[in-house]
Amino acid sequence: MAGSALRRLMAEYKQLTLNPPEGIIAGPINEENFFEWEALITGPEGTCFEGGVFPAKLIFPPDYPLSPPKMQFTCEMFHPNIYSDGRVCISILHAPGDDPMGYESSAERWSPVQSVEKILLSVVSMLAEPNDESGANVDAAKMWRENREEFNRIAERIVRRTLGIPT
Amino acid sequence: MRAVGVSLISVALTTIVIANAYYQKKQFYPSVVYITKSNPSMAVIYIQAFILVLLAGKLTRKIFFGQLRTAEFEHLMERAWYAITETCLAFTVFRDDFNPKFVALFTLLLFLKSFHWLAEDRVDYMERSPVISWLFHVRVLSLLLVLGSLDYLFVQHAYLSTMTKGASVQLVFGFEYAILLTMVVNIAIKYILHAIDLNSDTPWENKAVFLLYTELIMGLIKVILYVAFVVIMVRIYTLPLFAFRPMYYTIRNFKKAFNDVILSRRAIHNMNTLYPDATPEELQAADNVCIICREEMTTASKKLPCNHIFHTACLRSWFQRQQTCPTCRLNILRTTPTNNAQQQRQEQRPRAQPVPNPFVGPNPFVNFNPFQQLLNQNVPNPNVQAPAQDANQQGGTPNVTPTQNTQAGSSTSQQQANVPPFGMPPFMPFPFFPFVSQPPVPPQNLRSLSPEELRRMEGNERENVEARIQCLKNIQVMLDAAVLMMQQYSASVAISATMPVPQTASSTPESTSTVNTETVASNSSPKDNVTTSTSTVNNILNSSSSSSENATNSNSPSDNKIPSNLSAEEELRRRRLQRFQQPAEQQQ
Repeated sequence: MAGSALRRLMAEYKQLTLNPPEGIIAGPINEENFFEWEALITGPEGTCFEGGVFPAKLIFPPDYPLSPPKMQFTCEMFHPNIYSDGRVCISILHAPGDDPMGYESSAERWSPVQSVEKILLSVVSMLAEPNDESGANVDAAKMWRENREEFNRIAERIVRRTLGIPT
Repeated sequence: MRAVGVSLISVALTTIVIANAYYQKKQFYPSVVYITKSNPSMAVIYIQAFILVLLAGKLTRKIFFGQLRTAEFEHLMERAWYAITETCLAFTVFRDDFNPKFVALFTLLLFLKSFHWLAEDRVDYMERSPVISWLFHVRVLSLLLVLGSLDYLFVQHAYLSTMTKGASVQLVFGFEYAILLTMVVNIAIKYILHAIDLNSDTPWENKAVFLLYTELIMGLIKVILYVAFVVIMVRIYTLPLFAFRPMYYTIRNFKKAFNDVILSRRAIHNMNTLYPDATPEELQAADNVCIICREEMTTASKKLPCNHIFHTACLRSWFQRQQTCPTCRLNILRTTPTNNAQQQRQEQRPRAQPVPNPFVGPNPFVNFNPFQQLLNQNVPNPNVQAPAQDANQQGGTPNVTPTQNTQAGSSTSQQQANVPPFGMPPFMPFPFFPFVSQPPVPPQNLRSLSPEELRRMEGNERENVEARIQCLKNIQVMLDAAVLMMQQYSASVAISATMPVPQTASSTPESTSTVNTETVASNSSPKDNVTTSTSTVNNILNSSSSSSENATNSNSPSDNKIPSNLSAEEELRRRRLQRFQQPAEQQQ
């Protein structure tokens, strides 16, 4: 019997393949290594990220699901809760105890009950509704709050870039 | 590509050097002497040797590991840099016998170390790899065998050389290889555990526990080795700076393993004692899937107090990190102890009830000024007492009025001096007598408060606040009455003990009746006395019935707060009143 982390990841992969949530594709990059996943997230409708397809990488720890995975967008992103190197900063990805921004209640932190699907759905809703209080990208947070038009313009440029359409 | 280029250049250089030597000396032996005498040639030869070692390393790696994963490679590089710097530090300690052989030995050590690291990473990865081929097992087993025997040989060699030739650099090697040997043992144990788990059809739940203990024991052995090494090095050479970083990490890992074992034991203990096994019916009702591992629960599942069900093994590993329910985040450890505490409290309460605290805790006699009493009334006069008590019973307040003004600091002593209840003997021995009969117990619930009174105390308006303050004042009156009662009681006990009966006989007829009965009563039993004073307090209670419930409420928390000293009590009261007055003032 393989390790529990591997079995759980396999189960989640199976679940995601059988019942994929709308606008989300995810799976291991290489089926020999289930601890590195690739995900494609479609920008939620009715937001400035609408229409975009954003690739991201998920790295799972050996003790998954006791510890949360790390998620990093592999395309250019401009969003208050995404660091400039693409790392995603949302509370569901933080184990209780570490709180990089000091804003999160432990109720919304990682627990083994969470799953890849829930993480990706949270990221979709994060794209739709940025939390400008815990800014991983301060510039984006400031722009989101003060100059929404400029923010939308940058978001649209990113969306076009992910689709390969020249801007 | 670059590596290939570098090795080609190196080979070319070596060929040139050898060709040059051979061209000049024409014979084998003179050419070798020529090369060893010429520094540039030796440099080229050393570089070539280094590159050959690297190539050999790559070849061995290919044989034993195949393609390295990115994570493995990064890990290797990171550790290699640390090891190289530490080796350079070690050179400084043994700079006296710095020679090519010495460098070669250190290079070999590094070389073997890197294979230990790789083997460790590989075996750790076993658990996470979906496919384990037979090739993997062959590779790992042979590698462990080779590494283990090499380590053993080197340790033995170092030991023998130290024994025969005395302490030398072999000490460091012996120690380093001993550490590596423990590492090999650790990896082998892990490998065996993983292999057993892989070959079983059901998840092996206790594997994590075995791994924890392996980690703990190996950590302990390593810590002991490092400490011994540092002690020996300090005694023979100097402080081994190069061993400090690995020693620190080893100690840290050991500490972590130790904590893990403790946490794990605690989690197992909690699960075995606190949480019941889930019954098959409960499992079926709850979807039958453990939400931690997403697998069916057929055996060994536990139900938490919040009714969530998980695999025992999954819960154990989670509780090792956090003591919360994974689903609802109920703090498991916190809920159970409080339950216990509450139970204990409930058990204690009935025991404590026969002696209600408010009347027992403070000793009201501490503050008495016996000299003042001595001045005022040398002989306790029963004449004075009777009216005082009458007044007490009728008006219910003459004794307590002074306390109602907030500046009551001195009022108690004055009161005692002016209206001594039952004639206080000048020097009281101040014994403490527990109540023989029950003191007045104020009503226990709010029902005795009329709706009107309740309404009066709600809200933030001035009159509401005043009503509340009034209520608190009533409580104060009750407390004072209780204190007085206590004083009367102990005074009467004192009288009964000290006062001769004839003195009462000489008093005026009207009062004799009461006093006679009093003294006789107190002579016979102090109970009656208390009942009279109880009635006094009951009068007050009736007059201030609105405060009854609040009295109990405010009494209970202040049970232990009431200072043993009356003036401090007054001070406390004054402060409380001020606190109540402040919001009232702010309201306006």
